[in-house]
Amino acid sequence: MDLQNLSFKQTRHLLLDKQITAVEIANYFLARTKEIDPKIKAFITITEKEIIDQAQRIDEKIKKGEKLGKLAGAVMAVKDIFLTKGIQTTSSSQVLNGYIPQYSSSIYQKLIDEDVMIIGKTNTDPFAFGASTENSGYFTTKNPWNIEMVPGGSSGGSAAAVAADLCHFALGTDTGGSIRQPSSLCGVSGIKTTYGRNSRYGITAMASSFDCPGVFARDVEDIALVTEITAGLDPHDATTCDIEVPKYTENLKKINIKGLKIGLPKEYFTGSIDPEVKEKVLNAAKEFEKQGAILVDISLPSTDLGIAVYYILIPSEISANMARYDGIRFGQSVDGAPDIVSYYMQTRGKYMEPEVKRRILIGTYALSSGYYDAYYTKAAKVRTLIKNEFVEAFKNVDVILAPCSPTPAWKIGAKVNDPLQMYLADVYTVCINVAGVPGLALPCGFNNQNLPIGFQLIGNFFEEEKLFSLGHQFQQFTDYHQKRPQL
Amino acid sequence: MKITPIIGLEVHVELKTKSKMFCNCSAEHFHVEPNTHTCPVCLGLPGALPVPNITACEWCVKLGLALGCTPNETSFFERKNYFYPDLAKGYQLTQYEKPFVINGKVKVGDQEVRINRAHMEEDTGKSVHISEYGQDLTLIDYNRCGVPLVEIVSEPDITSATMAKDYLLKMQQIIRYLGISDADIEKGSMRCEPTVNLKIEDNGEVFYTPLAEIKNVASLTGVQNAIEFEIKRQTEEFEKTREVKNSKNKTTRGWNAEKAQTFLQREKEGSADYRYFPEPDIPHMEFTPAQIEEIRISIPELPDQKIEKYKSVYSLNDYDSSVIATDQNFADIYETVVTPQNRNDKIKEFAKFVANLFLGAIKTHLNETGEELNQSKINPEYFLNLFDSVQKSEISSSAAKQVIVESYQTGTNPVEIAKDKGLIQVSDTGALEKMAQEVITANPKAVEDYKKNPMSIGFLIGQLMRLSKGSANPQMAKEILEKILNGN
Repeated sequence: MDLQNLSFKQTRHLLLDKQITAVEIANYFLARTKEIDPKIKAFITITEKEIIDQAQRIDEKIKKGEKLGKLAGAVMAVKDIFLTKGIQTTSSSQVLNGYIPQYSSSIYQKLIDEDVMIIGKTNTDPFAFGASTENSGYFTTKNPWNIEMVPGGSSGGSAAAVAADLCHFALGTDTGGSIRQPSSLCGVSGIKTTYGRNSRYGITAMASSFDCPGVFARDVEDIALVTEITAGLDPHDATTCDIEVPKYTENLKKINIKGLKIGLPKEYFTGSIDPEVKEKVLNAAKEFEKQGAILVDISLPSTDLGIAVYYILIPSEISANMARYDGIRFGQSVDGAPDIVSYYMQTRGKYMEPEVKRRILIGTYALSSGYYDAYYTKAAKVRTLIKNEFVEAFKNVDVILAPCSPTPAWKIGAKVNDPLQMYLADVYTVCINVAGVPGLALPCGFNNQNLPIGFQLIGNFFEEEKLFSLGHQFQQFTDYHQKRPQL
Repeated sequence: MKITPIIGLEVHVELKTKSKMFCNCSAEHFHVEPNTHTCPVCLGLPGALPVPNITACEWCVKLGLALGCTPNETSFFERKNYFYPDLAKGYQLTQYEKPFVINGKVKVGDQEVRINRAHMEEDTGKSVHISEYGQDLTLIDYNRCGVPLVEIVSEPDITSATMAKDYLLKMQQIIRYLGISDADIEKGSMRCEPTVNLKIEDNGEVFYTPLAEIKNVASLTGVQNAIEFEIKRQTEEFEKTREVKNSKNKTTRGWNAEKAQTFLQREKEGSADYRYFPEPDIPHMEFTPAQIEEIRISIPELPDQKIEKYKSVYSLNDYDSSVIATDQNFADIYETVVTPQNRNDKIKEFAKFVANLFLGAIKTHLNETGEELNQSKINPEYFLNLFDSVQKSEISSSAAKQVIVESYQTGTNPVEIAKDKGLIQVSDTGALEKMAQEVITANPKAVEDYKKNPMSIGFLIGQLMRLSKGSANPQMAKEILEKILNGN
């Protein structure tokens, strides 16, 4: 049976009707992955044993008539910065090559508890530092729509795996755009949740006050279902919020588009934006307008400070978060260093990728005495400013609509020698992370080279429900999310 | 040349919470098999996040309040970045800009030491250096990593080694009263780092010697000796070099207890850059006024308050008051015996009477056995009985001391013990008169002596006491003998 064009919901029906077994589902996706992945290289690790084991457990449950988890029948790919007990977790850095975690990240565990099947761990920029997967300590993932192009990043492996139908959904993280930007470049949907909505426990930290775990899928309905399971208070993460998680899947039609005020921030449609991207994103806005929404021009004046604030604050946090990778307790380390300081320097020098070192250096510099106030303190103040602009904007509009990336996917290698250009790829996504609000990326067309273009709906704090409802309805009157790359 | 030492103390206290500061591991680490009380959080594994132990935070505030500090409205943790193998995360979580509590003071003798702050942080693991298999190895035990520590930073108001010791004893007393730590210097649950320099007045000029922070002092006498050594060393150094303090010449010195001297560990302490910044994994913390009040209410009566009470209500002297208040258990038991309700009319006499027994006979007994005072062995009723008997001259003060220890050991009423041992004094006038007559008849020589010198009555009293086998009330015996001998 060809499962490629079936959503998780449809697949689950087949499983529950006993027209297919979990093992058959697992084998289908394994076979497809083994065939397709060598072309796009989405996975660092394919978890053949684990997926079959889990499939057999599910079939056993069905046989015994036991209650099935909400995700029985679903196949999931996981960004390789989520710790998975017993399964190698590299964070796409050589420093963690061969590292087998002793525990699992909270949200991965929640999904496993709902009987999801894991197909593998996906490639990313090392520790999620990057916008194209080109910084990975292993290899670069290719865009399923054109394998000469980047898939975006950092969660490029997860986005590519969903785009190539190697799984039903994939976990990613979004610190400055790392879910929304690759969603846009690969033509899939992805949610960056409100900071504090999804637990960060057991995910290798990039910038702790920015990191937002989330999920990629072909359609919003699957994203809503997964988020319904992952979201909520985690006693292991002090920054998660004790705010009730709505039944996202039951409220997908809840928001009435008629009369809905959609803000179009002028700062997101000017400057270096690709004309085709601008056109397709504005078309998406017009689709909502056709359904009765009111488009409102708004301004988020501090937007142009976003990149500067972001690239001061995140390296600062990174410089401390990377300190534990010292080769003492886990990960790769050198032999024969004459003393402890040499041991640290050689281990980190040898196994950390250039972008990891670059960010450690920037952050260490920004936090140094004499520079701290000029950089860190100042950036933290501007962060508050940016956040307040979003809060103000949401007093006048219900949601904000904007592009995810100024351009469609670019050629592999085009930006690798210009880190600043690479940083600018995040220009439309970082402010949302700086503020901490949620953003849902959705596909909205293709450019003349058949490369996907996406946009994001940005909501106020903890308004994922509104975003899912609008996104789902958008996918009822458009079919961009149904398009498949030729592989 | 006039020399005034300027001493500030940083005291680290390990809290005795059940779990560690940022995870659920047991905080127990003394004599525990290495690396058995660990988890992803305290091992600093990838992805692990700290969740603050609220009890530890409350205890830090409690200690602050007991030291007269003001709580900060908002506090937060910060990361102190440095590399060391026993520091799992590569940074220590501590408080820098906004500690839980600031600006307190502690009375030390007649003087006051200002407290700059008390803040919460986590302990590091332990590196153990060994030689085995022909190699020098360093092993790391992470059991202690993440154990809650409160650091109390004093202002440099301490002016002598003795005062530093008294400050530490006072700190220890308060901490133990609060029940938040064993505050045992020898076991490392209380650690102390003095920073010492000198103010030198010479020929109308004032000089300040370079600051020296002393580390690895593992006992109370060590602190005292290290400071004394440092005062001497800095004086000599100044005489030699005339070097004065500046922002770059602070040094760190270790303490070698065997050689009884400090030695240079690190120069230019001022150049270390820990790159503190707010810990993003833990939201800022706020204690509401109501929560602060709740913590304040939970603070027991502290030694200073007890001493004040003993002096004003019970009229005890300074010495007795402070010795009783030293140990909370001892003081509390003392107060179960001496309550204002007991012998309201004679409360001061009673308080003094009980204090004498507690600090004399009972304390001596405890010192001999090495036990702590045990509430269940102290019956307040017995003390009242004994007090009444002494007041009525039935039992002498010295006999009281004797019987109270036996009563403490056996649980028998001390008055009964006195009866059994024939320690009840004869105060019956008739019986005493009879004995007096007998003594006078048997000792004509002494009677003659008395007539010449009334001061010599002592011999006759002695004879009467012997005749009564020590049970006669000596004061009454004297009066009766005088009455008969003087013929009236």
